[in-house]
Amino acid sequence: MSRAMRSAGLRTLRLGRFSRVIRPKTLGYGLGLALLAIIVLVSGVLQGSLPIPASDIGRALFYPQTLTAEQHYVVWDVRLPRLLMALLCGAMLGLAGAAMQSITRNGLADPGLIGVKEGCSVVVLTLILLFPTVSLVWRPLAGVVGGLLVALLVVVLSRDFSRPRFVLIGIGVSWFFAAGIGIFMTTADVRNVQTALVWMSGSLHAATWPLLLVALVWLLPAAMVLFITARASDVALMGNHTATGLGVRLPHLALLRFIAPVFLTAASVSCVGSLGFVGLMAPHMARFWLRGGQTALLWGSALLGALLVLVTDTLGRLAFAPLQIPAGIVIALVGGPFFLLLLWRRRDRL
Amino acid sequence: MSSLAKRSVRHHRRFVLALPLSLLLLFSLAVFHIGVGARPIGPYTVIQALFHFDAKNFDHRIIVSLRLLRLTAAVLVGAALGVAGVLLQALIRNPLGEPHILGLNAGAAFAVVVCTALGITSASQSLIAAAGAAALFSLVMLLSSAGRGGVTPLKVMLCGVALSAMISSLTAAILILDEQTLLAMRTWLVGDLSGLRWESIHHAIYPLLAGLLLAISIAPGMNILALGDNMARGLGVNLLRIRLVAMLAIALLCGVAVSIAGPLGFIGLLVPNIIRRLVTEDIRLMLPLSALLGAVLLLMADIIARVLLAPQELATGIMTALVGAPVFVFIASRFLK
Repeated sequence: MSRAMRSAGLRTLRLGRFSRVIRPKTLGYGLGLALLAIIVLVSGVLQGSLPIPASDIGRALFYPQTLTAEQHYVVWDVRLPRLLMALLCGAMLGLAGAAMQSITRNGLADPGLIGVKEGCSVVVLTLILLFPTVSLVWRPLAGVVGGLLVALLVVVLSRDFSRPRFVLIGIGVSWFFAAGIGIFMTTADVRNVQTALVWMSGSLHAATWPLLLVALVWLLPAAMVLFITARASDVALMGNHTATGLGVRLPHLALLRFIAPVFLTAASVSCVGSLGFVGLMAPHMARFWLRGGQTALLWGSALLGALLVLVTDTLGRLAFAPLQIPAGIVIALVGGPFFLLLLWRRRDRL
Repeated sequence: MSSLAKRSVRHHRRFVLALPLSLLLLFSLAVFHIGVGARPIGPYTVIQALFHFDAKNFDHRIIVSLRLLRLTAAVLVGAALGVAGVLLQALIRNPLGEPHILGLNAGAAFAVVVCTALGITSASQSLIAAAGAAALFSLVMLLSSAGRGGVTPLKVMLCGVALSAMISSLTAAILILDEQTLLAMRTWLVGDLSGLRWESIHHAIYPLLAGLLLAISIAPGMNILALGDNMARGLGVNLLRIRLVAMLAIALLCGVAVSIAGPLGFIGLLVPNIIRRLVTEDIRLMLPLSALLGAVLLLMADIIARVLLAPQELATGIMTALVGAPVFVFIASRFLK
């Protein structure tokens, strides 16, 4: 191993015939984040309007049959699905943000910011209001279709997604669809509107095991696409000419890496409603703490996104108990200043 | 005659043509606006009610006691938003400037919601709203003027969007925690012209007049501001004073609009762009036209919002956003590279 690679913090890991270059520091940070997520998850299971004593946590998670019926219900049907859903959706949004930022080479690009959320919401609302009997499982599919269409519209309108204009046009498009949502909200039947409002405000309390399964089904293929194309997009960041010369098929790469984030965002929006700013914050934080290529960035953003949603949801749940503040609102409170900080740091270039 | 002078004469001629035209349009829309509703009233009856009021006639009583209120509010709010839009776009030299986009409406709404939640329901609601709008707008301007390029269009828009998202989520949090305030504010927050009271208009009229007077007083200076900072400074304009007065006027006008009708978007975006394209770029001439055109556009939006899905009514704010957002996208794709 060359001295340059050593001084960059890279080490070789050998296990028999298998060998790989790793970055111990990044791995350490990653493991620390994962550990933190598990700690928050476990403490989230304990806290709430029916506190579970900390000594019972092992029993609650591994021997559920020994719990009282009430405790069993609270832990297994209310808190665990909700916390796991927060983890999954946070990871989805973080992945989506990381991929979108790298392919557009635009640090402000977030699929949630350019109208995917609103497009998705319009389609899902149509589904909820016009066909209330359709099962939950179809919502993500409809949402993905809506999100993809809106993303395409934004790309067509701005013609080139590496320019700053892209974000601004996306914002304009999202306003249009937000007004479309407003029409539904003011004209539809009041009971349907209530269902829709609960879903829209980005609160996770409606999470159930089937919905969790649906989210997982959408997460896995999109995440696989992203991880498989991670190396190619590392090369693509060297510039178009270099990448083409090294054998990267740029149009295919751009297509895959554009569609996958839209998929992820739309799926998470259809499962839990809109959680803004996660896709924007997670990759930047990951880049700040973890060094390394796209693979490290993807893992880091997924972990940090999951942690962000988990922490903000727990905060919103416990801070003003018994009242609950939707996670979307808490995230926006943290995310707004973060966005401004990003703007401040690139103030000379915009 | 130089080409510049010719252009100025042409602009004056167009202005002389546009002023009576928009007045006529405003009047006919107003008559139509009064006629629209659960009980349709013909234009002839409307004019009769306005000029020969007959207390025994049921239609006349509806018009004077109910519909005139909505009309007055729409005209005042439209005029305030139109003028605020012109000032704002001249101030940041950017055709995308708009009170709603730059977070002024969100700031005003936040201030009003906080005061209602704290139990302060004084007569000066529009002043409270103006203070909120001014605070958030100065924050946006401060943040976006950092850096080498100064206030670039992209920076100012992104700052506005981020800050208004943050403030709106604070507003939402307050509304969730305080059910009483939510009940009082629910219709108002969408930007709607229903459920008005005469008192709120009475209280708003003085801040509105003050804002308009300030706008007129700085119009010549704003014209020079358009030439660029250095040129304006060389011509002896006090940049800081003009900017501060302009911000004060914008905040007052937006505060009035928000306190009457809630956060209504995109009127302030459409009005200056239409006038600049069709009539003139001279701020002094734009101001009266923008007040008229703002009122005209808001009346149109309100009429369409009530007619489109009758008997159901859309909120007026939704209608303005449906029309305004595509225009925003169009201007953004033309203006930004």
